[in-house]
Amino acid sequence: MKQDMSYLKFIVSSLRNKPGRNLATVFCFAFIALNIFSGQILMAGAQGGVSRGISRMGADQIVVPAQYLVFLRGSSQNTTMTIVRAESSTFRINLSIMDTVGKVTGVSQMSPQLYVTTLNQPGLSPAPVDIFGIDPVTDFTIQPWLRQPLDEPLDPGEVMVGSGIVGDTGSKLSLFGHSYTVAGKLDPTQSSADHTIFLRLDDAYTLAAEKVVVPPSAPRITPGDVNALLIRDAPGEDSVAVFSRIRRSLSSSYPPSYVSVIGRNFALDPVSENIQDVPDILNSISAFVVIASLPLIALIAAMVTHERQREIGLLMSMGAKRNVIFFLVMAESLVLAAIGGIAGVGAGLGAFYLLNMQGALSGALQVTFAMPSVTEIGRIAGMALLVVIFMGSISSFWPAYRSSTMNPYDAIRSEAR
Amino acid sequence: MIQASGLTKAYHTKNSDVVAVDDARIEVKSGEFVLILGRSGSGKSTLLGMLAGLIRPSSGEISVEGLDITTLPEDKIAELRARKIGFVFQFSGLIPTITALENVMLPMLFCSGGPGCRTRAVDLLKKVGMSDRADAYPRTLSSGEMKRVAIARALLNEPSLLIADEPTGDLDVDTELEIMELFRQLNHEGTTIVMVTHNPELVPYATRTYGMNRGKLVENTNSADMCIGTYGSTRT
Repeated sequence: MKQDMSYLKFIVSSLRNKPGRNLATVFCFAFIALNIFSGQILMAGAQGGVSRGISRMGADQIVVPAQYLVFLRGSSQNTTMTIVRAESSTFRINLSIMDTVGKVTGVSQMSPQLYVTTLNQPGLSPAPVDIFGIDPVTDFTIQPWLRQPLDEPLDPGEVMVGSGIVGDTGSKLSLFGHSYTVAGKLDPTQSSADHTIFLRLDDAYTLAAEKVVVPPSAPRITPGDVNALLIRDAPGEDSVAVFSRIRRSLSSSYPPSYVSVIGRNFALDPVSENIQDVPDILNSISAFVVIASLPLIALIAAMVTHERQREIGLLMSMGAKRNVIFFLVMAESLVLAAIGGIAGVGAGLGAFYLLNMQGALSGALQVTFAMPSVTEIGRIAGMALLVVIFMGSISSFWPAYRSSTMNPYDAIRSEAR
Repeated sequence: MIQASGLTKAYHTKNSDVVAVDDARIEVKSGEFVLILGRSGSGKSTLLGMLAGLIRPSSGEISVEGLDITTLPEDKIAELRARKIGFVFQFSGLIPTITALENVMLPMLFCSGGPGCRTRAVDLLKKVGMSDRADAYPRTLSSGEMKRVAIARALLNEPSLLIADEPTGDLDVDTELEIMELFRQLNHEGTTIVMVTHNPELVPYATRTYGMNRGKLVENTNSADMCIGTYGSTRT
């Protein structure tokens, strides 16, 4: 015995009495905390997934060489798909086209992409690997798919790779004798981007200058060449109207045989509607659990204090004031609530990480589940803890009040123990 | 130390009123060892409860060290108990989840014992012959050992008054003698003791005795009354 007696020590030691029942109380609080925490994390994750989905929806319009449009029509490709990456074609336009498109009303972002070549290198990927040049500063279609956002824009010699490419962030890869560092890896896009290596445009031009990179039959790539200009509409703009304006602007500056524009229609509404009711349902479940548990916890608290009447009377005989008795009974309940709350939140957190790692959450929700940020998790955990501690206070208030107003002598002489 | 007069406690039940203590008058001087003898149900524990401020009397006055505790608010009485009064009950009243030493230190929660509190608790355990069991939990102690720890606990805040309610009621004869010797030693060291018991064999330990029968308190009861069982009953 090293320490003096303290309220905390006394409270903790009291909790060792009747461990089974205290464990049951902790379990109740843990269940409530788990319920609240899980519900809120689920909502935040699903909403985060939708937000990320929106940012990953790619381009609204794409400006391409006119010959490519002819090729596209002939190949019956689905133009309503998410446009993350340009197609691997050898038709090119010049970057200067950005000056024209940038002046069009309703265009908020634009980013060029250049197809360099395709590699068959099983060491990198079992599927053929496309090499693309992008402008990391203006890019808005590739980087939202990164598993971890880049700390700073892509430096020369750094690349981003699709999910199907071997190697993780920080690893090295070699292309035609040029060494690159993988600065970021994308989540699966279920598109050709999964088997693509993205370089900076200037690195792409340097690489393309190597004789072996571009097939001899294809036209040489010169600085300023790009395959496509990906465009995002300004928020609230009618996509068809923007499409028409771009088309009109291009036709006034370039011959129709040089450049064309492809619009894309995508619908987010069905996804949004799917999760719209989820918060209400989860909140209702949480509220039901809280309301249903409260009387049970209050009953346990009342039983515990009833059984400890003699002990409470003894403390009073030692000089414990009524407010001290009130505090001790409340504090015991709050400690149980805090332990239960932390256990519940901890269990929830562990379960979420585990399920998320296995992709089970996205499957169950039918939307991409994006694990909330540490700050958001902390906020939700804090809220769950506050709720259980509040419940602990409510449920033990009456027993604490009753104990503090007990006649000490009656309490001492009670035969409850 | 204690002066009480006209002390009455009546309990109202559904069918009748029960007068547990009826117009009692008692005076305890500093340094005395006062024994209140009476059979079970005679009202002696209720009287003791009133003297310690644990029970509010129906009528009468009680003065403890010059303070009229019948008019003091609850918290002030609690303070008085914490600083001036030590209790020993028939049951040990030890908290099972803390050690003997921690049990002795428990009253410091309610009355700042200062930095020397732990040392004092150790000394008290030594005084009651329990220093070698300081780290033992109550479940491992015998009845007599638990009672000794309870006495040490009652003395932690250096009370001027020790109140004992049937402290030897559940003990065998040998342990009872040990505990009574301990009380006598404490009394010789200056602690005022008021003790209730139903055992007239303990009369020799007291400096003054009261007898209690059906709520009535009588001072200086003669030893013949004690022995024939008017106020108590000997162990069989």
